[in-house]
Amino acid sequence: MRVAYYSPMPPSRSGIADYSALLLPALRERVEEIVVAQPGRRAPHADVAIYHVGNDPDAHGWIVDALRRRPGVVVLHEFVLHHLISGITLGRGDARAYFDAMERELGVVGRLLALGVADNLLPLLWETQPERFPLAGTILDLAQGLIVHSHYVEQRVREAGYAGPIWRVPHPAWPEPPLERLELAGEPLVGCFGYLNVNKRIPQLLEAFALLRRYRPGAKLLLVGAEAERFDLDRRVERLGLDAGGLVRRPYVDESELWSLMAACDVLVNLRSPTMGETSGSVIRGLSLGKPMLVSDVGWFAELPDGVALRIPVDEYEVPTIAAALELAADHAAELGVAAREYVRREHDLARSADGYAKALEEAAGNEAVADAVLLRIAEAAAEVGLDDAPELARAARAAGIV
Amino acid sequence: MRIAVCRPQVPFVYGGAELMADQLVAELAKRGHEAETVSIPFKWYPGTRVLDQAFLWRLVDLTESDGRPIDRVIATKFPAYCVRHPNKVVWVLHQFRQAYDYDRTELGQFSEAPEDRAAIRAVERLDRTALGEARKVFATSRNVADRLARFTGVHAEVLPHPPQQLAFRTADPEPFVLSVNRLDPAKRIDLLIEAAKLDRSLRVVIAGEGPDRARLERLAAGLNGQIEFAGRVDDERLVDLYARCLAVFYAPVDEDFGMVPYEAFLSAKPVVTTEDAGGPLEIVHDRETGVVVAPEASALAQACAYLAGHLEEAKEWGRAGRAVAERVTWDVCLDALLA
Repeated sequence: MRVAYYSPMPPSRSGIADYSALLLPALRERVEEIVVAQPGRRAPHADVAIYHVGNDPDAHGWIVDALRRRPGVVVLHEFVLHHLISGITLGRGDARAYFDAMERELGVVGRLLALGVADNLLPLLWETQPERFPLAGTILDLAQGLIVHSHYVEQRVREAGYAGPIWRVPHPAWPEPPLERLELAGEPLVGCFGYLNVNKRIPQLLEAFALLRRYRPGAKLLLVGAEAERFDLDRRVERLGLDAGGLVRRPYVDESELWSLMAACDVLVNLRSPTMGETSGSVIRGLSLGKPMLVSDVGWFAELPDGVALRIPVDEYEVPTIAAALELAADHAAELGVAAREYVRREHDLARSADGYAKALEEAAGNEAVADAVLLRIAEAAAEVGLDDAPELARAARAAGIV
Repeated sequence: MRIAVCRPQVPFVYGGAELMADQLVAELAKRGHEAETVSIPFKWYPGTRVLDQAFLWRLVDLTESDGRPIDRVIATKFPAYCVRHPNKVVWVLHQFRQAYDYDRTELGQFSEAPEDRAAIRAVERLDRTALGEARKVFATSRNVADRLARFTGVHAEVLPHPPQQLAFRTADPEPFVLSVNRLDPAKRIDLLIEAAKLDRSLRVVIAGEGPDRARLERLAAGLNGQIEFAGRVDDERLVDLYARCLAVFYAPVDEDFGMVPYEAFLSAKPVVTTEDAGGPLEIVHDRETGVVVAPEASALAQACAYLAGHLEEAKEWGRAGRAVAERVTWDVCLDALLA
């Protein structure tokens, strides 16, 4: 079986490129031939095509274009795709396609909202409230089957009316690289990695950390990642009265330093709300290092079991809950760490993920031919005894799980 | 109780699986149950044909017969366990291994074509459905249970079945190693012949028939009486060969269960097997009930030579094996299957 594989690949700087770089060697061991498609090149000849779809139009626009030309298996890395859809419609001067996508989602109201956005009468929805208008339908219409990473996305997709096959394949964990031993002060040292913005609940984390410092004056917060525009971290820190000694900033780090910094932390925090239906590679990395982890109780994050991560409800008590959870995590770091490692080993095993992909691709490529072959023989036999209601036979075979 | 024992039947082939099902019927009858074998001819190739067979079993109605209910169905093999019944118990001898561990090996049957790959996935789905709806699933060995868990996520309780009930006895060992098996490449009888080539004092008796016979005979050519192909032997001759042999060779690749080691043990003979034999390793323990070696002719030749040179140890290991085999009885099996 030959597979055409559409994904951003390194050196493209995207989480999905890293993901594919990790997955592909394991998948090649399970599938006869995989041809990685290149943007701007002719589509590879294949029995089945797989398309990795994320929310970045620059990284994934060409992949959606290829998907339109030939349906295939779509890996839905996020459920909210408004940014992608706006980028490949409005961003290419095709406002009508954006109106159509919004209308598909919300009917006439959607179309009117889209008109308002296009005419600059309304704020850009993909920046202000994309979670309310996910626009995944445009992609779902093209998908012969879907690979998702979480029950959450599976459920959202079904709610959106998708009736095709869905394979839930856990996000694989990266193997632990050699780590540089870093000695960073902090009792405890709390780490937060990734883009700093309100979506990552950084304001709530800062407030909670200020509370923690009242009881644990030795605590330090390590913030690794770039700051969003207009986020103004310094002003927020100053307003909370957090002195510079409590905060460690590393805006840009390379891959190996990132791992080493994570390993140096006592507790990791990875909050998110609203969720776009994403699975966090950063959370999986942290858990694989055996670190206690705080996450928001939403989306995929809510599927992390008790005892593996501390799930923080997004409600009016969020700040004190984070503060209490930081203390708890620091005090029970060893138990939480053991459970986290074991969970990643069990649930995010690379071989298991690659098996899941192989199964999905094999079923997508061959199920129809199998059903045709078996049902033809059954229908022939039935016809020979005077029964020629093949659809009825097909239903019986499907109900029995034969095809 | 009225019990249907379901097994597939490859026409003109009668082996361990068929024997086990027929014995089960006989043992049920001995205990006052009304039991019968239900069988459908099985042809598993090419490609998707195997799914037609599953469909046939699915169509069979065993809820009642002649106006009287059938209380329980006991199914032993794919695709017989696809049969529907509210009181279905499956005693798995093995799954359709071509779709699992045999795939992409010389023992597999499916190509890399999309239709073949999808047929494998259909067998997996079918197994999950058919085994998932069973009231209880047993496996004849830990090896089979582990495979079921690994490939289909189905939990099975291990329940080994007793070997055929012959008048097994023991006698002083004579200098030959016995192979009792179907002559099939998966049984690796060629390994024993290669060992005999390395040790010209090693005598071998090969009982059984099968499609690999001509190849094996060519392999043994020139060994001048060192290897005897006994063909299919009757019960009396089989018991006699077991009783007189030095040891019994049994080393298929990752075997499910294998009755031969039990029969050897009931004859108080040690078993020579290999580290990759699978199910037999659950009862053949190195230097306790036999010898376990690397799957290489030289290692096998050394093991046989050791046994020939240490007859007391060979006898002791055979006796230890007998104690193991005697614990596997039909009473234990039927208590579990009918619970």
